[in-house]
Amino acid sequence: MTIRPDSGDLLQGTLGILILKALLPGAAHGYAIARWIEETTDDVLRIEEGSLYPALRRLEDRTWVSSEWGISENNRRARFYTITAAGRKHLRNEAAVWLRYSQAVTRVLRAAPAIP
Amino acid sequence: MAPVFAGGDACAARGAGDPVSEARWRRYVRFVRPNIAADVDDELAFHVAMRIERNRSLGMMPDEARRDALSRFGDVDAVRRALVSHDQRRQAAEGRREYFMQFLQDVRFGLRALRRAPGFALATTLTLALCIGANAAIFSVIHAVVLRPLPYAHPEQLMSVGTGAAGEFLALAVRLRSFSRFAAWVEQTHPIDDGQEALRVEGAAITPDLLPTLGVSPVIGRGFTDDEAQPGRNNVLLISEAIWRQHFGEVQNIVGKKILVEGVPHTIVGVMPSDFHFPNATTQYWQPLAFNPANVGATWAVWDKKIIARVAPGVSIARAQREVREVWPSLRSLNPLWDPGPDYRRDAAPAPLRDDVVGATGRLLWILFGCVLLVLLVGCVNVANLLLARATAREREFSVRAALGGGRARLIRQLVTESLLLAVLGGSLGVALSVAGVRWLVAVMPPGIPRTDEISVSGTVLLFTLGVALVTGLLFGIVPALRATQQARTGSSVDLGRRTSHGRHHHRVASVLVTTELALAVLLVVGATLLVRSFAALRAVNLGFDASHVIAARLTPPNGRYADSGKVSAFYDGVVDRLAGMRGVTNVAIADKLPMAQAVWGIAIRVQGQFEDNKHELPAIGHLQQVSPGYFQTMRIPVVRGRTFSAADRMGQPPVTIVSQSVARRYWPNEDPIGKRVAPPWDAPYMTIIGVVADTKQDSLRDTARTSIYLPWAQRTAFAGSEMWVMVRSASDPAPLAAAIRATVRDLDRTVAVSDVRTMDAVVSRSIRGTRFTVLLVGAFAIAALLLGAIGIYGVMSYLVGQRTTEMGIRMALGASVAAVIGLIVGRAARVAALGVAGGIIGALFATRWLGSLLYEVSATDPVTFVAVPLLFLVVAVAASYAPARRATRIDPVRALRAE
Repeated sequence: MTIRPDSGDLLQGTLGILILKALLPGAAHGYAIARWIEETTDDVLRIEEGSLYPALRRLEDRTWVSSEWGISENNRRARFYTITAAGRKHLRNEAAVWLRYSQAVTRVLRAAPAIP
Repeated sequence: MAPVFAGGDACAARGAGDPVSEARWRRYVRFVRPNIAADVDDELAFHVAMRIERNRSLGMMPDEARRDALSRFGDVDAVRRALVSHDQRRQAAEGRREYFMQFLQDVRFGLRALRRAPGFALATTLTLALCIGANAAIFSVIHAVVLRPLPYAHPEQLMSVGTGAAGEFLALAVRLRSFSRFAAWVEQTHPIDDGQEALRVEGAAITPDLLPTLGVSPVIGRGFTDDEAQPGRNNVLLISEAIWRQHFGEVQNIVGKKILVEGVPHTIVGVMPSDFHFPNATTQYWQPLAFNPANVGATWAVWDKKIIARVAPGVSIARAQREVREVWPSLRSLNPLWDPGPDYRRDAAPAPLRDDVVGATGRLLWILFGCVLLVLLVGCVNVANLLLARATAREREFSVRAALGGGRARLIRQLVTESLLLAVLGGSLGVALSVAGVRWLVAVMPPGIPRTDEISVSGTVLLFTLGVALVTGLLFGIVPALRATQQARTGSSVDLGRRTSHGRHHHRVASVLVTTELALAVLLVVGATLLVRSFAALRAVNLGFDASHVIAARLTPPNGRYADSGKVSAFYDGVVDRLAGMRGVTNVAIADKLPMAQAVWGIAIRVQGQFEDNKHELPAIGHLQQVSPGYFQTMRIPVVRGRTFSAADRMGQPPVTIVSQSVARRYWPNEDPIGKRVAPPWDAPYMTIIGVVADTKQDSLRDTARTSIYLPWAQRTAFAGSEMWVMVRSASDPAPLAAAIRATVRDLDRTVAVSDVRTMDAVVSRSIRGTRFTVLLVGAFAIAALLLGAIGIYGVMSYLVGQRTTEMGIRMALGASVAAVIGLIVGRAARVAALGVAGGIIGALFATRWLGSLLYEVSATDPVTFVAVPLLFLVVAVAASYAPARRATRIDPVRALRAE
């Protein structure tokens, strides 16, 4: 497993967007991001937690997030990620595209005739 | 906890210890050097641990909680490896970028600093440019002449076997086993006539095997066949690319065309490549070397064939050399003419062809290179001193930087970058200078240095120069940088005062540098002085003849038209008569050789009553010359006893001869040599000695008393070619006679080539061009080193005075006399100089041995030189420190104290 630059792959891109969204409220470590996705999606999107970290590195390489070491809520050393201004902008653009896309798909699926 | 992560001992340990202090500790470690693998482990371990805790809080058993956490995570090891390699790559990239940015910053800063100190920048850049330029120029010559491999196939296999007779060559070719190919050549010069003008052109006679031995073939046509190496069949020629271009307009169908050599038509069989310069750059044509074993005299008595060979594959050069040294002396019994004696060919010195081509020149060039390197070192030391003084002036800047947290390494890097910047500036300028320098060197270089046409500032030279520039940059940059930053750190508080307590320390370092510089300069100046004294001794040598008011020219009648000896005599009689009749001409003579103009060769003689038997070792006379009656008068060679040749000593009359004083002294020490009889080793009648003349220098000014024997040209028998020198003595400046000589000869026969028309003074000074070249260069280097040394002393003393203004002021105020203050400063300079001079003298005692053969009548430890040079340096040191000392006396005590 190597970390390649974001290839635009749907799933990889999606994971990136989820991470950026998770970081909007404030800095978080990897486990917190995983828990946030888990709770927000009611565990519907079962992502492999290990894949979060390569994704975070990719986001960092593109300067959408930054990281630094800190002390976690239970007093342990953890790496905290923060979304950058560039990251927010990217999230805005991607979210708009994603929403338009999913709305379009939803409209298609809801159009008559109804799916049996 | 089982070790989930490779290298995960850290997280096991953390489980036991206090996590906070552990983390803190690691933070400090990280401050020194980030530990990427441990960080990745920490991050992933934290994640898994958090998930296990949550699972436990949801009520899972420990084992289950752990299993679930790991399965949610996926392939821990793969993730870990990916993260570690990613982070390492990122860190390396960041390091590179940071380093490069710092470098750019340093360069920008350095340029700005140099712009602020233009005088300093100019002085250092010029010093370096001159030193590096001189190095690059000399190295260009060394590279072309010495280092570059010979332009032949596998040149390392080629060997110069030695010089000998044709019979020896043929015998060696049969006997030696170490060689795959064996060839011989001899230089020859003939008049070549293209129908317009008779030219004396240098060429070589070569055995047909020579070109295959070298691994070279003609660009047009073919090489020689064995059949063409038979006497009478060798009227075929290979011509140089230059002749093809100049005389034949580069026509393709050149093969088969005829050209007149010695008035005889020769057929051109091919054209050699333009880079083929064998044996010399001046060689323009090649002819088969024909042996005629029936002519015993020519086969065994003429020792002029140069033998080269290619060592067979798998045979070492050393073994081949050994074989030659063993086999050649064993040929002693083969000589059918005389017994060459037990020492026969004991001095055989077979050598790699490259050594033979480069020879003494290589040694000379390395000596020059050593000198120019010394100059570079002196230059470096000077620049280091300048930098040091400048760094001291910038102490405040460094203190501020250090106080603001600039690390020492970072500061050193910046200073070294600045000095490298100077070195690169100086180096670039130096390359430009070296291009001009190489052109000048090639112009003033003495004749006889091989491969001069290949000298240029090549890629290798540029690489060398770059290397020199970088090394010098480090050399003169590192010490001041270390010194300056050390001060900045020890003086950790920001010292805003002008003066610091480090001045003395700086002064000590500077003194050491100047001492070194002076020692190097003394070394060079001693060497140069020895060479200059040798040169002066050489110029003052008694030639044995009077070179002034004589002009000489070489006349080469084509053998084809002058096969008849009577015709040759008639031609030269005509030349002598006409020239003698000219206004201002006092004497005219002809001779087969001109002193100082060509290689000398001699003859073995039989001496009646002493060495009569051919089968015994015969005395060897170093120099044989066949001359016309007026020769001794024209050259003003003193006649010690008897008479000189007269017109009556001609063919058919009793054979006569004249010997030089050293011959007379050796064979008739207590008798009158007049009337004694000698003869050549072959079957020829005895000649009666009619006169004894003074010894003369024949080969070069360095010639030791060479035994000479003179024969009347009118009684010539063997070895008399038609090529002769004509010498004309005039009452006034002889140079204008050159045109008259040419016109006279052209008028008599336009097919006779006239060459080398020079005054004897010019001939003599040409013979020492090589020595003059060396003396000129080494002298220039020595003067440069002396000047740099003086500048070094001046700089250090100026700095010292500047540093100790207050002290001087106080001394003056307390009533110290002007003389005392001057004495203080000058004495200090003298002490530094004395140390440097002592070091230099010790070095010179060892180093001047290398000059060895370059010296003439001056010992390598010549006392005059070894006394005069140190004195000169002390005087220079005193003189250079006098100005700063005067300045010290003019310090106003009141102002000096107030400034503090």
